[in-house]
Amino acid sequence: MTTSTSAPVTAPTTHAVAARTKGLRKEYGSTVAVDRVDLELPEGAVLGMLGPNGSGKTTTIRMLLGLVRPTQGEIELLGQRLPDGVEQALPHVGALVEGPGFHPFLSGRENLIRCAAFEPLLPKKQIKQAVEDALERVGLAQAAHRRYRGYSLGMKQRLGLAGALLVPRKLVVLDEPTNGLDPAGTREIRKIIAELHEQGSTVLVSSHLLSEVEATCTHVAVLHRGTVVAQGELTELLQAGGSALQVITPDVETALGALRQAKISARPLGEGLRVELAGTSAPQVIETLVKAGVGVYEATRWKTGLEELFARLTEAEEAERGMSSVDTLDGGRR
Amino acid sequence: MITRQLGSEVRWMLRRPRTIIGLFGLVLVPIIISFGIWTASDEGGGGPGLAAILKGNGMVVPIFTLFLSLNLLLPLVASIWAADGLAGEAQHGTLRGLLVAPVSRVRLLFVKLFGLTAMSLFAVTLMAVVGIIAGTAFLGTDGMMTLSGTTLSTAEGLVRIVLFILLVTFQMVSIGAVALAVSSTTEHPLVVQAATMTTIIVFQVLGQFPSLDWLHPFLITTGFPGLIDVMRDPIPFGQIWDSTLLAGCYLLIGTGLAAMRLITKDN
Ligand SMILES: Nc1ncnc2c1ncn2[C@@H]1O[C@H](COP(=O)(O)OP(=O)(O)OP(=O)(O)O)[C@@H](O)[C@H]1O
Ligand SMILES: [Mg+2]
Repeated sequence: MTTSTSAPVTAPTTHAVAARTKGLRKEYGSTVAVDRVDLELPEGAVLGMLGPNGSGKTTTIRMLLGLVRPTQGEIELLGQRLPDGVEQALPHVGALVEGPGFHPFLSGRENLIRCAAFEPLLPKKQIKQAVEDALERVGLAQAAHRRYRGYSLGMKQRLGLAGALLVPRKLVVLDEPTNGLDPAGTREIRKIIAELHEQGSTVLVSSHLLSEVEATCTHVAVLHRGTVVAQGELTELLQAGGSALQVITPDVETALGALRQAKISARPLGEGLRVELAGTSAPQVIETLVKAGVGVYEATRWKTGLEELFARLTEAEEAERGMSSVDTLDGGRR
Repeated sequence: MITRQLGSEVRWMLRRPRTIIGLFGLVLVPIIISFGIWTASDEGGGGPGLAAILKGNGMVVPIFTLFLSLNLLLPLVASIWAADGLAGEAQHGTLRGLLVAPVSRVRLLFVKLFGLTAMSLFAVTLMAVVGIIAGTAFLGTDGMMTLSGTTLSTAEGLVRIVLFILLVTFQMVSIGAVALAVSSTTEHPLVVQAATMTTIIVFQVLGQFPSLDWLHPFLITTGFPGLIDVMRDPIPFGQIWDSTLLAGCYLLIGTGLAAMRLITKDN
């Protein structure tokens, strides 16, 4: 066990990772849907996958579930290498991908019974109970006898969720689960995700609703144009990615000098300075300043919301292009 | 596990409205045929036509029915089931659900092929049974008159009918297997039905051209007429064997192509 750190990452280990991808790439003809995706899904985490339309969320999820073969790259799912281990891994995985898929001429209950018949972990005798439990859990018990054809968008979505929850799962993958749900439904999904999290299941949820992700997820991965542009623990990401320290001080010059020496980036702002917390922490900054004899009147954390972070990561592209030229110009002048 | 999946598949097929309508339509065929013969024989006049030959020969009705239906109706039904089996499931997004359950792709094809076989056997048997009942009701039964002029006992006649059921089912399943291969390439069930039926009709047309006789041994439809040898006494197995072998080739090729496609398919 002590040498486990030097073991190759690709070997199926007991490493606490529910799923992992390495250098994932998928081409559809000339379109590159996903490229160089290194995703890590820690066991027990609730990972929110964010990204604009067409950024490759669904494609990544499909590859993770063995539905789509990657053009390149490796996937490890619940300790199994895909595609060989897919049949060992998938019984423990519940999934709702690209909207619910059911037969319109069957009732909700009958549809679930058909799904249950193909669940390897569900003994025949328990099918009935499991179906009723799942229906109850997503609030569909009243409408279970009705044909799926007549279901509303939200009811369909709920049934899809029920299908993913038929069996206790180690990993639940939900692709835009709140799509079409009313506020109550959204809250229920949030509750279900929280329950899964409490029970120790790992959850991968893709969403457009940033508030949703912020409220339910422990980890975040942001996709943009087919690549992961940021991932990690939500709190860390929000801090490291976007947080800064606003320091009120009269000795701006001394402070800047001291910080520069400590290789912490900062710039004058208002009555003091703004210190970027990338690669450092607030106590460290204050310690540096105090040791340099700078009088600190006030220090406030500036926390970026997920929305701001997301906007910066995914919308920066165009702005970046404009800015980078400015940056180069600026650098040239120096 | 596998029996549960096969059971679920057959139950699912039986629950489909179009399966029920289709079976209902198939059952009408022997009834209409019996009724037609009965009314024709009622007219009395004319020489010893079809009606006169079949008078008191109700057990010929199931064979006659299946023989007629094999040209168009049964391939159509098989293509519908094959179309719904893969293309239809892909269209509804349920194929994804099955694959994530997981059902391995090879097993999925096996389940689909089993469903197709079971339902084909059921449909053909149902037609034959209704044919026997309707034939007996309208025309009466004193044994079965063969094409060779001899008359078989009712028991022997039943054996012939069972043999014919199996042969026709096998032809139907083979066509269905090829349709499954088409079904694995698309999300549109109608494409599968259209492709299958076009092929069957084109084959039958091609079979009419003597100049293309080199092609005829490869057309599955060429084997259909030979199956009627079941009605001769004793049965000459030459043509029956050839037809079945040809259908077997179609079955293997269809299944093989479907498997190849299904295994590499992105869903
Ligand atoms: N079957 C396919 N054939 C061709 N291109 C595809 C296919 N599936 C996905 N793509 C392309 O891959 C890219 C990523 O699509 P994907 O569905 O993964 O995006 P997404 O992040 O799920 O978007 P959304 O938020 O709209 O659901 C898109 O440009 C899409 O056009
Ligand atoms: Mg998507």
